[in-house]
Amino acid sequence: MFDSVEAFYRPASVHEALRLLQRGKGQTRVVAGGTDLVVEGDRSIRFLIDITHAGLTYIKRKATGLAIGATTTMAELEESALLGGLAGGLLARAAASCGSIQIRNMATLGGNMSNGSPAADMAVPLVALDAKVVIAGPRGRRTMPLTAYLAEPAEMRRRSLLVEVAIPEPPRDKRAGWSFQKFGRTALDIAVVSVAAGIGFGPRGRVKWARLALGAVAPAPLRIAAAEQALVGRVMDRAVMAEACAAVERAVHPITDVRATAEYRTELSRVLSGRALEECAGQAGWAL
Amino acid sequence: MKAPVLKTMEVRLTVNGQPQVWTIAPGDLLLDVLRREGYFGVKRGCENGECGACTILLNDKPVNTCLMFAAQVEGCGIVTVEGLADGAKLHPVQEAFLDHGAVQCGFCTPGMVLSAKALLDKCPHPTEEQVREALGGHLCRCTGYRKPVEAVLAAAKKAKRPRAAKPAEVTR
Repeated sequence: MFDSVEAFYRPASVHEALRLLQRGKGQTRVVAGGTDLVVEGDRSIRFLIDITHAGLTYIKRKATGLAIGATTTMAELEESALLGGLAGGLLARAAASCGSIQIRNMATLGGNMSNGSPAADMAVPLVALDAKVVIAGPRGRRTMPLTAYLAEPAEMRRRSLLVEVAIPEPPRDKRAGWSFQKFGRTALDIAVVSVAAGIGFGPRGRVKWARLALGAVAPAPLRIAAAEQALVGRVMDRAVMAEACAAVERAVHPITDVRATAEYRTELSRVLSGRALEECAGQAGWAL
Repeated sequence: MKAPVLKTMEVRLTVNGQPQVWTIAPGDLLLDVLRREGYFGVKRGCENGECGACTILLNDKPVNTCLMFAAQVEGCGIVTVEGLADGAKLHPVQEAFLDHGAVQCGFCTPGMVLSAKALLDKCPHPTEEQVREALGGHLCRCTGYRKPVEAVLAAAKKAKRPRAAKPAEVTR
């Protein structure tokens, strides 16, 4: 199989991992779960760096929100009480939808982000939550918006080391709801389209804030600002919801691939966005 | 951190309770090494993480060995289907699979049995939904999904409930 691999490193610190990554000159890849890397099957890899011993497995509450270490597995996200209590359990629900139990026991949050799939299960809710990523480099750590990280070329993501995902505290409104909708060909398949949404309501059903992100409909997960704007300040009803969904339909630009046609994904974007908004309203106790 | 050894390296772990030292190539996949070491209950199926035939328990959790490098399991404990029976005495999940005719060609069976064991260890009395979720990462091309689900539920039912109805409660 990976016959060209000359060494497999297990650094015990981020510092050591960075040193190895720099030395590898582009023939080095970082391993966490391995589930995407092995399937990708790049036979030119010469060095592998397993970062699961570098102290990056954690879910912590910080003053500004939550911090999740890059090597935290999907299973750990799914079972985390901290995540269960954040944004209606949005992230825990998304993690639970990722592949089979076997995959979730291996696959990590950092891998899900750095692999950069437009359908990445965690990326869509994280984009909806305005998540940031912390990248470690030889000159220290820098924080950047997840959307900017996902827009980078894959080659650039491979040369850097994602160490943490930071989630700012979402608005805490009593009347708020969150939803994660994923449509795949089977329960275990990656998303044909996925949607993460959140709505906060003021008095009498007036929308205070709205978050809407879609996956697998563009090269990277998309925040649909036009749809959010169509909701904010309005009293949520079926007509307003339809307007937002129409904005989604205009904003997405999916491709046709083995799973679905672009036309089907566009239609699905509208339908799933509607379901997501409906679920948000329902959770917030607002009858449409 | 250990100094890397070019081209071959050692991995220390336990398999079915036995300490082992493997000499592997750094790019070897866990599936390949386990089969090379004689654990043929670890099946080579899709090699893509879809079918679950290569499932083992890694530190008590089911994982797909086709998606892992062998070097990842340094210091870990592995259980394969070979490690479930106690001599001639089968594991309750294995017994239940036999009793319920949950085995057809048998290729998916080792993986299913291990996932079922992991579920019951964590959650001794699961709902049917939980059993289906636990077996969700296993494909059976004989399409025999119903009987394995029944078998796991039966194995759970047979296991003693920690707070089973005691005589005192019955006569209350």
